[in-house]
Amino acid sequence: MPKTIVCRCEDVTEEDLKRAFERGFRDLESLRRFTGFGTGFCQGKSCLCHAARFLAAVKGGDDMVSDPPRTRPPLRPTPFAAFAGALPEADAGAEEKP
Amino acid sequence: MATARRLDPLPNTPFQYGPKVDFTFEGKPFSGFAGEPLALSLLAGGVRVFGRSIKYHRPRAPMCLHAHCSSCLMRVNGRPNVRTCDTPCVAGLSVERQTGWPGAGFDLLRAIDVVYPEELRHHELFTSSSALSRMATPYVRRMSGAGELPSGPPPLAFPVERQSVRVVVIGAGPAGLSAARRLSQSGEKAVLFEADALAGGRLLDGATRIEGDGDSTGWQRWKAWSDPATLPGIELLCRMPVVAIYPGRPPTVVAVGEDRARIVQPQRVILCTGSYDQLPLFGNNDLPGVMTPRALDRMVLGHGVLPAEPVALVGDSDETLRLSARLLERGVALAGVVTRRRDGPLVGALQDKKVPLVFDREVARARGGRWIHELELSPQRQREPDRLLDCALCVAEAPAAPAFELGHHAGCRVFFGSQGGYRIAIDDTGRTSRDDIFAAGHCAGAADVTTAIRAGERAAATCLESLAHTP
Ligand code: FES
Repeated sequence: MPKTIVCRCEDVTEEDLKRAFERGFRDLESLRRFTGFGTGFCQGKSCLCHAARFLAAVKGGDDMVSDPPRTRPPLRPTPFAAFAGALPEADAGAEEKP
Repeated sequence: MATARRLDPLPNTPFQYGPKVDFTFEGKPFSGFAGEPLALSLLAGGVRVFGRSIKYHRPRAPMCLHAHCSSCLMRVNGRPNVRTCDTPCVAGLSVERQTGWPGAGFDLLRAIDVVYPEELRHHELFTSSSALSRMATPYVRRMSGAGELPSGPPPLAFPVERQSVRVVVIGAGPAGLSAARRLSQSGEKAVLFEADALAGGRLLDGATRIEGDGDSTGWQRWKAWSDPATLPGIELLCRMPVVAIYPGRPPTVVAVGEDRARIVQPQRVILCTGSYDQLPLFGNNDLPGVMTPRALDRMVLGHGVLPAEPVALVGDSDETLRLSARLLERGVALAGVVTRRRDGPLVGALQDKKVPLVFDREVARARGGRWIHELELSPQRQREPDRLLDCALCVAEAPAAPAFELGHHAGCRVFFGSQGGYRIAIDDTGRTSRDDIFAAGHCAGAADVTTAIRAGERAAATCLESLAHTP
């Protein structure tokens, strides 16, 4: 059987989701913590929907899928320099836009 | 396997070439066109494997070409994990792959994929004793890591502009542009943030059609709408992705560009963040050469880069069928179209051109070593044989996942719907669960560009109305 990849960043397969579900990880958050989907470079942009659809299918309905795991900033990889620039002491160099 | 080629440039694409420039790829001389995405310079030059996956060391190459799947990461000018599809090609770059041993092209660690055909439970590996775990950890890190540390120190602190403006629109796709136009027509001032190098979103797709008010193609609409002169009062900032909304009142919107950042605390936000394209789930769906339809659209129709042919297309939507027809017009060889759509003018046109159409099969798996060379199609009814479709590039469509995250940052209600994924909840005027934040288009579940355009306009109208009622 070839692997069917659900999460490209962390190499999580459809089979991994099934096995994790069988082991008792039956909601999105614990499924994510166990398999690691959504924790890589893209932070779930190409896997969260697949995992949620998987849960909806095995649990029998869209309303059986809970809220998504907390999404935290930043949305994409962001250099620390951006945050460093936003610190109050960096404000001396910041320009005020009208 | 066919070799990569570039199609004759079209005069009317939104993506225009700069001059030819030289850079190095793993020490060897390489060239591309200034300003095109680096990933495309590499694909056009015959690079197939961009990197190796973290656990099984499976080969990876661009899948989305829209800066979200992270399958195109390389080390650029000594910086690891750079998305090459979101990095413009410029003269003098030094580009290297960063994963695999001895390298990404030929990687002995691929053996892991073979040794663990079913699953590799990394939590339970080398955990029988703490000494073993301590010994193994550095090796496991090296094997599964993501490149070496940067060669130089990172930039110190970006200049950060703080700005006060009444309205921020996030995303300059069909919904965001139409919202910004509506605001501009009413004399409102707004900042319009866009992550991509060009405004347009799905209007930049060659296969997009907008229905109603004298049908137009995406590119025609892009031409009419993306000119900043037609948007007085709107400050359009491209290559400035919004990375966070902090949910106070007013909300704090943070956008970070290449070398600067901007922080805005607007009275109103309109979220038009679009959606992320997905691949369907089938065996080896991560094989290089398997991409989303919009990735292929941008690469071939937009930029004229064709890494290989013939192309197999899998999908039922108008966009995928139109993409097939547009590829034919551009002289691209098609291996076939796998679709459940049996009739209608789009299917008829492909039949007239003698494109092989496969109606009663679905994709079971992609086959190939380091690049796709065929699709295995299984019958929908039993007792019919499997079929193989030779191809050197494959696009397969799946429902896109709405980009709901910024709404979630801000505390807006989101919900799950299996046609797509989580999306921002809105009422029919575009209002979210927060009275100062609105959403429109694909991020709130719009199914197509025409709907997204209408939704953008409506959300902007609701936003203006709510501003009028604020002292
Ligand atoms: S992030 Fe570059 S191809 Fe998807």
